[in-house]
Amino acid sequence: MIEVRDLRKEYGGFTAVSGSSFTVDSGEVFGIIGPNGAGKTTTLKMLAGLLEPTDGTVSVAGYDAGDSEMRRRLGFLPEESPLYEEMTPLSYLHFFADLYDVPEDVAEERIHETLDQLDLEHRDRQLGDMSKGMKRKVAISRSLINDPDVLIYDEPASGLDPLTTNYVIDFTSRLSDEGKTIVFSAHNLYHVESICDRVAIMNEGDIVAQGGLAELREEHGETEYHVYTTVEVPGSVQENGRYHRIVDSMDDVETTREAAQDAGGSVVDIRTEESSLEEVFLDLADPEVEA
Amino acid sequence: MKLRKVLRIARWEVTKNAGGVDKKTVAVAAVALLVAGLVAPYAASQGIALDRGIYRVGVTEESPYYQVVADDPTFVAREPSEDALEAGRIDVLIEPGEPPDAASSAKGDAALAELRSTVDDYNDQQMRKETNQSAAFPIAVTLRYVERENVQEVLDPGATGGTDTDDESDESDGETGTDTSGSDDGSSDGSGDGTGDETEAGDGTGQSGDGDTAAGGGGGNVGGLAGSLASGNASGTPADISPPFPFQSLVLAFLFVLPLNFIIQAYGSTMLSERLNRRGELLLVSPVTRFDIIGGKTLPYFGAAITMAALIGAGLQFPDISPLSVGISVLAITPIALLFLAATFVGAMFARSFKELTFVTVTVTVSLTTYAFVPAIFTDVGAVALISPLTIVVRDLQGQAVTLGEFTFSTLPPTLTAGVLFALGAGIYREEDMFTQRSIPLKTLDALAARVHGKWSVAAVSAILLPFVFVAELVGVAMLFAIPEALSIPAILVIVVVVEEIAKSLHIYAGYAHSRFEAGLKPALVVGAFSGAGFFVGEKFTLLAQLVGLPEQVVVGQAALATGTGAGSPSIPVVIAFLLAPLVLHVVTAAISAVGASRDRESYVLAVVLAMIIHFGYNFTVVSASGAI
Repeated sequence: MIEVRDLRKEYGGFTAVSGSSFTVDSGEVFGIIGPNGAGKTTTLKMLAGLLEPTDGTVSVAGYDAGDSEMRRRLGFLPEESPLYEEMTPLSYLHFFADLYDVPEDVAEERIHETLDQLDLEHRDRQLGDMSKGMKRKVAISRSLINDPDVLIYDEPASGLDPLTTNYVIDFTSRLSDEGKTIVFSAHNLYHVESICDRVAIMNEGDIVAQGGLAELREEHGETEYHVYTTVEVPGSVQENGRYHRIVDSMDDVETTREAAQDAGGSVVDIRTEESSLEEVFLDLADPEVEA
Repeated sequence: MKLRKVLRIARWEVTKNAGGVDKKTVAVAAVALLVAGLVAPYAASQGIALDRGIYRVGVTEESPYYQVVADDPTFVAREPSEDALEAGRIDVLIEPGEPPDAASSAKGDAALAELRSTVDDYNDQQMRKETNQSAAFPIAVTLRYVERENVQEVLDPGATGGTDTDDESDESDGETGTDTSGSDDGSSDGSGDGTGDETEAGDGTGQSGDGDTAAGGGGGNVGGLAGSLASGNASGTPADISPPFPFQSLVLAFLFVLPLNFIIQAYGSTMLSERLNRRGELLLVSPVTRFDIIGGKTLPYFGAAITMAALIGAGLQFPDISPLSVGISVLAITPIALLFLAATFVGAMFARSFKELTFVTVTVTVSLTTYAFVPAIFTDVGAVALISPLTIVVRDLQGQAVTLGEFTFSTLPPTLTAGVLFALGAGIYREEDMFTQRSIPLKTLDALAARVHGKWSVAAVSAILLPFVFVAELVGVAMLFAIPEALSIPAILVIVVVVEEIAKSLHIYAGYAHSRFEAGLKPALVVGAFSGAGFFVGEKFTLLAQLVGLPEQVVVGQAALATGTGAGSPSIPVVIAFLLAPLVLHVVTAAISAVGASRDRESYVLAVVLAMIIHFGYNFTVVSASGAI
C-alpha cells in the first residue's frame, strides 16, 4: 500500500531525512518512533504529499505522493489540530467533505456517525470555544471524512489527558480493525507496542531499525535469563534465601546449573526477560544511555 | 486550477467568516446599511444644513428680501420690529426703503454678511432665469482650459522661451476669447456651435450653451449624484471665475480607492491566519491545488471590490444609470483591485504576525493609493494621469471618451504586476515556506528563489518582473512630472537604475542564497547575461507607453521610459547600435551584480551599486544626447 524508497529531505544545508526506505502493507499499522528531531514528522509529511522530497520516491496506493487521487484516498492528522476556530464542528467537517467531493447525504451520515463514535457533543459550538481534546476529536473526524484507505497520524494523542489519550488510541486501533492502513508516530512507546504491527525507529534522519516487534527485540534487544539456585555460585547475589544470577545466554545458564550442582545445590527457577521496545529504542536512539 | 474547487473554497471562505458574526449583528448591520442607502440619496439631494434657522431676520412678506430669506434655510423670517432687534429676538431687521440693519452683536454682523452673500446668489439665480441671457449678462467670458503638453513650459517659460510660450501659459490659465455661457471642464476644444441666445463677441468662437458647468473646473458631463460634485455655474459674475481645481476628479478617485483599503484588511487577515498555527496545512493536504486555495480565498474579496466599484459607479450616476458606463468603471477598477489584493497577498505570505501584517497593509495602502489616486487627480491634465486606471473611471464618469490604447496603457501594467505578485506569493504557498518564521527580506528571497532553477528561469523572471518595474517607474513619473526638469530628470534616472538593477539581480542573489547555481565566476557571468537578456526582451513592454504618447508629452516620462532610443532618422548602423546598446548595458550590469551575488551579501550590494552607477551613466548620456536635458 505504501512504498518508500531512499527518501531524503534537506532544508538548506540541514538533512532532516537521509535515505529512508520502508514499505507498509495494506491493513497494516506501521509506527514510526524516534527522539525529537529524528525526522518522523518530515517523513509523514512527505508521505502525505505536503513536503516535496529532495530525493527518493513515495508511492501511496499506487499513486505518487501529492497526486490528487492519492490525496483523495488519504487521511492526514497533523500533530496539532489547526482548525478554523470561527466554524462549528459540523460546518468545518462539511467544508472538508465538500473539498473531497463527498456527496452531501453521505457526508451528513458519516459526520454524525464518526462524531457519535468519538462521543463528541456540542456540535454547534464554535471550535474556538472547545477543549483541546474535543478539537482533537474533530480533527480525527476530519481525517476520516473521505473514508480514506490510508491514514497518516502524527502524534494522534499529543497533549491530551490520559483518558482522552486512551480513547484516541482505542479508536485508532478500531480503525485498524476496519482494515485501514495506518502510519503513525508517537512518543508513547506503550501505545506503539499496543497497536502497531511493525515499527521503524528513526534517529537523526535515519531509520536505524525496522520490523515486527518480536523481530526488533530479537535483533536489537537482549534476552536475560534469571537463574535462581539454592547455593551460591560465581556472580550470584543472595535474594530472599536464594541465590540470583543474571546471564545472557543458554550456555551461561548451563554453566550456572553445573556450578550449583558442584556446590551441592541445584537450580530452583529460571526466568526469561526480553527487552521492551523502549529499551530497544533507547539503545538504538542513544547507545550511550543505559535503558 | 479548477473553477469548481475555487468556487467551493470561496463559498466556505464567506460562510467561515460569517460564522464569526452572530445573527443579531448581521441583522443590525443590514438594517443600518438599508437605512444609509435610503437616507444618503435624500440627504445628498437636500443638502446638509446644520445651520438651519440660526439667523432670525425681521422682514415682511411684501419685502423683496422676503423670498431671499425664505429660500435659504439658514434664515428664518420673523415679524420686523425695532424692539425685537434691540431685545435680541431678531438678528437683522429689514424695513421698507431702508438697508438691512444688523443687531449690534457678533451674531448680528455674521447674519448680515450671510444675508448679503445670499442676496448675491439669489440675484445671480434670478438673472439666469432670464430668457434673454445677453441682456442678463452683457459681457461673457469663455473659460477654455487646455491640457498642458509640457509642464516645464508653464513653470519655466524661459527654458523653452519666447512670448509664444507666455501666450500658451496664459491660455492654460484660462480666460481666452469671449463668448456666452462658459465652458466646462476644459478638456473640450471650446469651439463649435453655440446654442441658445449666445452673443458673439471677441474672437467669436462659439461655445455650447448647455449650462453644464463653468469655472471651478472638472465639471464634465457626469450627472446624478456625481454631477452635484461639480461646482460653478454656466453663467455668473466675474467673481465666479476661479482657476480649475480637480475637485471632482479627486473625489471620484477617492470614492473608488477608499473601499479597497478596507477590503484588503480583511483579506490580509484571512490569508495570514492560514499561516498562523498551521491552519492552512489541512487545505494543502486535501485534493485541491494551492492555486485553487489562493483563488478561492481571494475570490470573495475580489468580488466585494468589484461589487463596491459597480455600486459606486451606479450610485454616482443615479438615477440615470448607464450600464455601459458602469461596466467600463468596473473593468478599469479591476486591475487596481487585483493589485491591492495581490500586494496584500504577498504581504500576508511574508508577514510573521498580525503586527507585521499591519505594517505591510499600511505600506500597501499608502503605496497603491498613491499610485492609483495621485495620477487620477490630474485626469484633466494629460497623459500622465493615464498611469492610473482610476483615470479611466473618472474620465468615463465625466463623459469623456477613452481610447482602447489609453485603456490598455492604464490597465495592462497593474494587471500584469498583480499577476507577478500573485505568482510570487503562490511560489511560497506551500508547507515548507508558509509556516516558517523567517524575516520579510528572507521570505522575499524565498519567493524569488522558488521561481529560479537555472539560467533560463533567471531570464524568464527578469522578463516577468518588467510590469512591476514599469509600474514603479510610472509612479516615479507621476510623482516627479510636476517639478522642474533640473530636479525631476536626475531623480527619475536614479529611480530607474535602482529599480531596474534590483529587478535584474535580486532573484539571482536569491538563487545563490538557495544554492540554485554553481559557484564560480563563469556560471555567475552566464546567469547574469541571461538575466540581462531576459530584461532586455521584457523591456520592450515599456513601448506600451507610446500608446498614449507619454514620453512625448512629459519630459520626465521620456527620461524614464524612452532611454536607448534615438530621435530623427538615423542610419542603419546607428539604429542597430541603438537597439543593441541597451542589451549590452543590461547584460553587463546584470553580470556584474551576478558576480557579486555569487560571493556574499556584501559583495552583492557593492556589485549592484557599481551596476547602478554604470547604468546611470549610460542613461544620463542617452537622455542628454536626446536633448531632454
